[in-house]
Amino acid sequence: MSVRFTRRGLLKTGAGVTAALAMPSIVSAAGHKRFEGKTVRLLTWSDNTGLAILNHIAKPFEEATGAKVIADRTGSTSEMVAKLRASGGRAQYDVITLAGVGAVELSKDGLLAKPDLNQLPNLQDVDPRFRTGADGHGIGYLLWTGGLVYNTKTFKSPPTSYAEMWDEQYADRLFLPPATWTDALDTIFATSRMLGGDGRDADAALAKLGELRNRLLTFGENPTQLVELFRSDALDIGGVYAPAFFAKELADPANSNMGATYDVEEGFFADLMYTIMPKAKPGEDDVVHAFMNYTLDAKVQGVMAEAVLNGPINQKAEMSAAAKASPFIIKPEQLGDKAIVHDKEFIADVREDWIKRYTQTLA
Amino acid sequence: MFSSLFSTRGGSYSFVIFFLTTLGLLISALPVIVVTLMSFSAAETAAFPPAEYSFRWYEALWAQLSSDESSSAHSLGDAMFTSVLVAALVMLIATFVCVPLAYALVRGGGRVRAGMELLFTLPLVFPLVILGIAFLLIAESLALDLGIWRLVIPHVALVLPFVLRNCMSAMNGIDIEIEEAAISLGASWPRAFLDVVVPLMKPGILAGLIFALIISFNEFTITFFMYTIDVSTLPIWMYSRTVSSLDPAVLSLSVGIILVDVVMILIIDKIIAGRASLF
Amino acid sequence: MDPRHSSLRSFALSLPAIIAIAPFLGACFYIFRFSVSGESGRISGFSLQAYFELAEPFFLRSIWVTVKLAALSTLVVLILAVPIALVIASVRGAVVRRVLTVTILLPMILNLLIQSYGWIILLGPSGVLNTALRESGLISRPILLLFNETGVLLGLIQTAIPLAVFPILSASRAISREYLEAASSLGAGNWRVFYDVILPLLRPGLVSAASIVFAYNASAFAIPLLLGGRRVQMLGVAIRDMISPLFNWSGAAAAGMVLIVITTGVLLLATWLINRSTRTPKSTGTSAPLQTGGGA
Repeated sequence: MSVRFTRRGLLKTGAGVTAALAMPSIVSAAGHKRFEGKTVRLLTWSDNTGLAILNHIAKPFEEATGAKVIADRTGSTSEMVAKLRASGGRAQYDVITLAGVGAVELSKDGLLAKPDLNQLPNLQDVDPRFRTGADGHGIGYLLWTGGLVYNTKTFKSPPTSYAEMWDEQYADRLFLPPATWTDALDTIFATSRMLGGDGRDADAALAKLGELRNRLLTFGENPTQLVELFRSDALDIGGVYAPAFFAKELADPANSNMGATYDVEEGFFADLMYTIMPKAKPGEDDVVHAFMNYTLDAKVQGVMAEAVLNGPINQKAEMSAAAKASPFIIKPEQLGDKAIVHDKEFIADVREDWIKRYTQTLA
Repeated sequence: MFSSLFSTRGGSYSFVIFFLTTLGLLISALPVIVVTLMSFSAAETAAFPPAEYSFRWYEALWAQLSSDESSSAHSLGDAMFTSVLVAALVMLIATFVCVPLAYALVRGGGRVRAGMELLFTLPLVFPLVILGIAFLLIAESLALDLGIWRLVIPHVALVLPFVLRNCMSAMNGIDIEIEEAAISLGASWPRAFLDVVVPLMKPGILAGLIFALIISFNEFTITFFMYTIDVSTLPIWMYSRTVSSLDPAVLSLSVGIILVDVVMILIIDKIIAGRASLF
Repeated sequence: MDPRHSSLRSFALSLPAIIAIAPFLGACFYIFRFSVSGESGRISGFSLQAYFELAEPFFLRSIWVTVKLAALSTLVVLILAVPIALVIASVRGAVVRRVLTVTILLPMILNLLIQSYGWIILLGPSGVLNTALRESGLISRPILLLFNETGVLLGLIQTAIPLAVFPILSASRAISREYLEAASSLGAGNWRVFYDVILPLLRPGLVSAASIVFAYNASAFAIPLLLGGRRVQMLGVAIRDMISPLFNWSGAAAAGMVLIVITTGVLLLATWLINRSTRTPKSTGTSAPLQTGGGA
């Protein structure tokens, strides 16, 4: 305990010392692993983004600090929120990565602890817009970006407007995001913009989306199914959907027939994802903070961006030349006029209503 | 080869029976056949049918199994072990409680029987998602450390309708005279029950065991809510692997799981039934 | 020591099973209590609000789709399961019998997502079937067999076949060979024997199979999600959406209660109809759906 106390004292003495102490590489270079015997229990997504977290965050963190990371890689954000709500005060996790809306909801339920920003020195390098959220309970992680996904056999050049989805020739070769995903709300937003609105006019947008009801092949409930449908040339276009699901396929369009674009007239969507810390977490404060801090490390952010096509928020993110050139990875400085970042309060207000109406209009 | 349950003398009747049987078997087996073929693909991409065949995905799976690190993910080995343990417990408990109940209901009869059968059909009727969250809310509000029983208790409830129905159908065919004869020859009632009735119920018990095993071993929905980071099963592990990447290694694992199921079924078949088996 | 009468012994024999099902009954009560909760996210106060909110066209349509698909799948499953059961019962070779039994159990074993992948490869818009039809010039646009009610029906049928085959198989054991031989030696044709002898004797098993399949399929949610492309709104899907991401748990509980009432109602109605139309001989027991005619 006394060791911890001392460290806390040091942390307050100055940012320079703090950064040095929190930098795992420096500590391990001294031959003494700082968190030997401590454990971080992590809950993350079941898709390939979760797998990338294991390989590019959890494993190097273990090597650098000696801590053990046990990862539960199951569920979507809304499933995580449901499980955490049901378990109430008895959280079994120390750190959770999830989409913005989920953090806002759990924070409203009073289930989250406020991380100590002094113990997260890497935040200094993060774009100030993306540092914290959910009333201080969420620490920025990466940007989830959504645009249009299309068939490279059908489209010789990428589609430039969501209006392409209404083209008759893509009837029965079209997909939309499932109602239960934030991407469905983005789709309503995009449609409203396409009609000249500000994005919030759900009535007009849903009426327009209704025209697609009988032309829809499927909802993109399952990214693997979409991969197979594109591969077998059964789909032409769909969105708003995240290229992040298809990192492997987008790199190999000759076999997958898949392409994706953010360069759409009405704009693309960026959602800040968070790492959060439940109030009743089983692990110890210092190692949990160190883990959160590590997710923001310049190197880690660069590697993750390349692995799962998420946008890095660390302005010094170290990316390879290929990643820098990749049209699928949005860099923070690119978030100009074209990026639509939702007001989380607005989304929280309309979410339930929009999900219901989207389902009832299209299913 | 065929007895007279349906005749082989030809005609429209035999044709229809054969046609429908073939159709039913195809519907059951086609996806498995496709997946099995794909798992032997030599290619990186998922074109069907594969142009060439190989064991490469099985080798990849084996490499993963043998180098499985428990540190960073739930380990596949742990999940497999938990699944087998849960399924075995569920199977034994469900059978142990259903055999005497089936006896009591068939011999008792009347209104109680109808009511009890309705009661024990309920787990089949309830939508699993809502049941899953209800079990989770109850378990968390009781704040008990249930360990593996978090999964065993709900699984037992799920398989009860299947096990009970099978035991009762076997019990229905056992004449009360057989039991009475044993008792009149001096056997106590428990002896008569264990030595005469239970052996006659064997086929029903066996079918029940197999259903319990398969349902528990492959259960996903309730388990999804109830599992913890320490107690997790194979279907949960599979789910976390398959949501967005269905590579042939996953398909080869599926084929492996089918084999595990089949082997377990055959072992039970052997232990319980010996030669006069259910199938 | 008369094995017929002893309510105390019956109770003692039933007790372990009652203990085993008790947690489930607790959960049932919990769900009921949640459905009349005054708040949507937790149990607090009393209100019928959740039920009133279900009285909207979308939900009613969802009930209709659920009942329709569950009933249709039950019918098709019975048509397929009877011949399969008769064949399995007739096969003398143990190896063939085992292969057949394991084959029909396969849909219960293989992960549903992976099965759906198999179906997309076979029946998808560019799957094996559509490609063959297109190449033979029979069609120009693909036939859509998945991501609609047809796909869901296929999945419901596939997963329910084993549930139906076993009760029918049990019942078929009760048919003695002599019965059939007597019938055919009297000159009855195959179809006649089937209608007049086999079907009536299989009835307890058929009824048991039908009730299991209907109940099982009415509460399905994975199949409509995976093979319906989420476009077929069965109640199970609606309930899942209410649990997350809508977090309307009292609504989900109320919808669950409605589903249970409908299913139990259909089963009771079937019981009543069957009991009314026939009096079954004592030796085979009653043939009501809620009572056991055969094993599951």
